[in-house]
Amino acid sequence: MHIPDGILPPYLSIVGYGITGGMTWYSLRQINREKNPQEKIPKASLLTAAFFVSSLIHIPIPPTSIHLILNGLMGIVLGYYAFPAILIGLFFQAVMFQHGGLSTLGINAVIMGIPAIFAYYIFRLKYLLGNKPFFTQVFSFLAGASALGISAAIFIMITITNIPAEIDANTEKNAILASLIGYSIQMLIEGIFTVMLISFLEKVKPEILNL
Amino acid sequence: MKELIRENKAIKKVELRAIKIDNLSFSYPQNSPILANLNLEIFTGEKVGIIGPNGAGKTTLFLSICGLLSPLGHISVFEKPIIPGAFCPEIGFVFQNPDDQLFSPTVWDDVSFGPENMGLSPQEVAQRVEEALGLTGVSRLKDRIPHQLSGGEKCMVAIASVLSMQPKLVLYDEPSANLDLKARRRLINFLQHSQETILLSSHDLELVLEVCDRVILINQSKIITDGNPQEIMSNQELMENNNLEVPYSLKEN
Amino acid sequence: MKLALDKYCNINSPIHNWEQTSKLVALLSLIFAFAFVTKLTLLPVMILVTVTIFILSKLPLSFLISRLRYPGFFILAVIIFLPFVAGKTVILDWGIFTIKQEGCLAVIRIVTRFICILTVSLVLFGTAPFLKTIKSMKLLGLSAIIVDMMLLSYRYLEELGEMLTRMQRAIKLRGFQSHNLSKRNLEVIADLTGTLFVRSYEQSQRVYQAMILRGYGSNNNGHLLTTKNVKIDKISWLFSGITVIISVFLLLAEIYL
Repeated sequence: MHIPDGILPPYLSIVGYGITGGMTWYSLRQINREKNPQEKIPKASLLTAAFFVSSLIHIPIPPTSIHLILNGLMGIVLGYYAFPAILIGLFFQAVMFQHGGLSTLGINAVIMGIPAIFAYYIFRLKYLLGNKPFFTQVFSFLAGASALGISAAIFIMITITNIPAEIDANTEKNAILASLIGYSIQMLIEGIFTVMLISFLEKVKPEILNL
Repeated sequence: MKELIRENKAIKKVELRAIKIDNLSFSYPQNSPILANLNLEIFTGEKVGIIGPNGAGKTTLFLSICGLLSPLGHISVFEKPIIPGAFCPEIGFVFQNPDDQLFSPTVWDDVSFGPENMGLSPQEVAQRVEEALGLTGVSRLKDRIPHQLSGGEKCMVAIASVLSMQPKLVLYDEPSANLDLKARRRLINFLQHSQETILLSSHDLELVLEVCDRVILINQSKIITDGNPQEIMSNQELMENNNLEVPYSLKEN
Repeated sequence: MKLALDKYCNINSPIHNWEQTSKLVALLSLIFAFAFVTKLTLLPVMILVTVTIFILSKLPLSFLISRLRYPGFFILAVIIFLPFVAGKTVILDWGIFTIKQEGCLAVIRIVTRFICILTVSLVLFGTAPFLKTIKSMKLLGLSAIIVDMMLLSYRYLEELGEMLTRMQRAIKLRGFQSHNLSKRNLEVIADLTGTLFVRSYEQSQRVYQAMILRGYGSNNNGHLLTTKNVKIDKISWLFSGITVIISVFLLLAEIYL
């Protein structure tokens, strides 16, 4: 779900960088409000690296396999650090694996990062309902699935409306339909996976969730 | 007495071969070989120590035997050729760092992981888990979170998680690294009494001396020597030529 | 996981000697100018500039090609897909398959832009040690929090990658085969991923303790990188000047030509 260099109309790159700049500024402001913002930097950084590495794990869906996005989980675990963390992860992917791109870094950070912050808020809703294990599961699922869903929606919107200006309407409809089916399966998997991972972390190391 | 044991072994050798390696070579692209034309035979019931300096090729040898690498040459274990990538519960591999091996939320889950993958029934799985936990003396830890155990406990749980597959050959990669004296002593006692064929790589030469009945010295991708642990490890010239030291207990006063 | 992004950063070439801060600004301006190009007449200019920069950098061609392998699938998809579906002007007709002019032109534009940007960014990040690039970003005003996070996560990427490889080996040796999607397989992968997080988290606590013991966070200057004001030599100024002029030229040409 990364947009590579060279494919978008230039104004979108600029808009993407604009929004990303704003979001980064906002996240950093929230981070700097904490008593000791530097205290959490090593945690956020190592988890960023861990997220980056875990995106290399493949989930089999015969006859193919998908890799996990986990941006919802990043939001849950990292809070406001999630946006800079995603930005850094995307930057590394662009320069090391040529996955995504430099001119599209801004727009890709919007696609992945904003849903992560959204997931963070969704997950915190469980505290309103009394923080029971059942609600933790429900909101983990919602956070994981909705983050991927929103990312996919933004991604599809951008690609379909922008790439080949003269594409045939019927082809376009079919392409949207096919990708919707694909992404809803992935949403389901990300949601379930997020529930499993959160319950693992709650058992083994609950303090990670209170970063 | 020694002669007698050797003779006994000679008889065993004819019957039961655990590992046979012919012309094993391995190198990463554009690097000098890590293993070059290695030939080796190991017999059922032997406890073999692999010693040698860092980078000698010990770990590569282990990874090749359990089919994680695809080297040149031929390896067979219990007369069956090793197919890289295939699951072979007859061979167990205990990793140097137990943290690399333990990943489940409870000790029980981790120890049952292998038997479950073998497709055993839940009763059989449970029985094997109990057995493995009993053998390694960590039954009381079965509901604990592996991550929170002490170094020594983790080591024994990692061994249990391999033994529950009831392997006939177990490879131990640096098993005593990071253990305190008491945990190390427990490990040595355990290894001395274990029934499987053992291949053990270690820098802890005193442990090798106590556990193994045969030692293979590897250096610069080749087998330098192969034989009786006491004879090899007390040979000062040989040891020092290969960046090793004669263990304290073998030093002449 | 092999990152090896800066494995050719010690070659002696004019681009390698170009001071990294000014190089960063200049080549980024070029990348953005490239992203703006849509006019077909400007494509040869873009290619010429890219080829010149690449040759000057003395980076081996095999390095570039190996880096193109992964995104190659994307290029291939564009080439296969677009000429058939985009546009109205048919230039070739094979019954159900028709090749359309607009689609072909879009392919040429997208692929050229893509390869040129990728090559320039490879030169930008491949001709200096990655740490130096991060330092340059700090000098250019990137937030200290982001710089620290980048440094630390970069430092541990390979280590965590190897950790994951070892853990995957360990579960594979105990018979785990993830060929199909089942609740158990997903759970095993979740536990594995969770373990990776827990181990990273615990390591981060040790890293943090070691860092504060050496003065991190004790004052506002307690960040990971010390940057002195760099001196930009004449040749670097010259290179940067030329590059920025080319970028501006491309932008103006795109708008007014």
